[in-house]
Amino acid sequence: MAAKIQWETDLDKALARASKENKTILMDFFNPG
Amino acid sequence: MEAVTFPTPEVVDFLSTKMVALRVAFDHPSLAKEFRIKWTPTLIVLDANREEHHRTTGFLAPTELIPSLLLGMAKVQFNTDQFEPALALLDTLLFAHGESAAAPEAIYLQGVSRYKTTKTAQPLKLAYEKLAADYPDSEWTQRATPYRLL
Repeated sequence: MAAKIQWETDLDKALARASKENKTILMDFFNPG
Repeated sequence: MEAVTFPTPEVVDFLSTKMVALRVAFDHPSLAKEFRIKWTPTLIVLDANREEHHRTTGFLAPTELIPSLLLGMAKVQFNTDQFEPALALLDTLLFAHGESAAAPEAIYLQGVSRYKTTKTAQPLKLAYEKLAADYPDSEWTQRATPYRLL
């Protein structure tokens, strides 16, 4: 089990990964503070 | 979400194995406008073609985030006419997270998906009956009300 979430920070990279791994994307719009 | 939900081991495992996790600042110059972000946290489930299928705004506890994401993943399949994979995800949601806030919508979508695969109306009526019995005050029970006549 992974120790923490490996967040992508670039939508295009996330889309490429999603296509390659046949997964959907969770996009979290957050307030970095 | 950062302090409570995302560090939870079950959430880490789910996001690490089932989805691609993407984090974007709420004031991102182009994406905040494209996705009409007005408040945080806003969580959006996208497919690999950049299409949005599911959105929530506001805090979700770990026990609510995972079923919400399963519902979003099921909607991705449903919206692309992949009803069997949608049903598998909805079955998982309802088996493991039947007490979650996502459950009523999942039952509704399950009924529609079964209707789509069987071409018979019975699953719609069964969905209404389950919703009426278990979630009489849910908006999804209201939306399924016409199916009681089938």
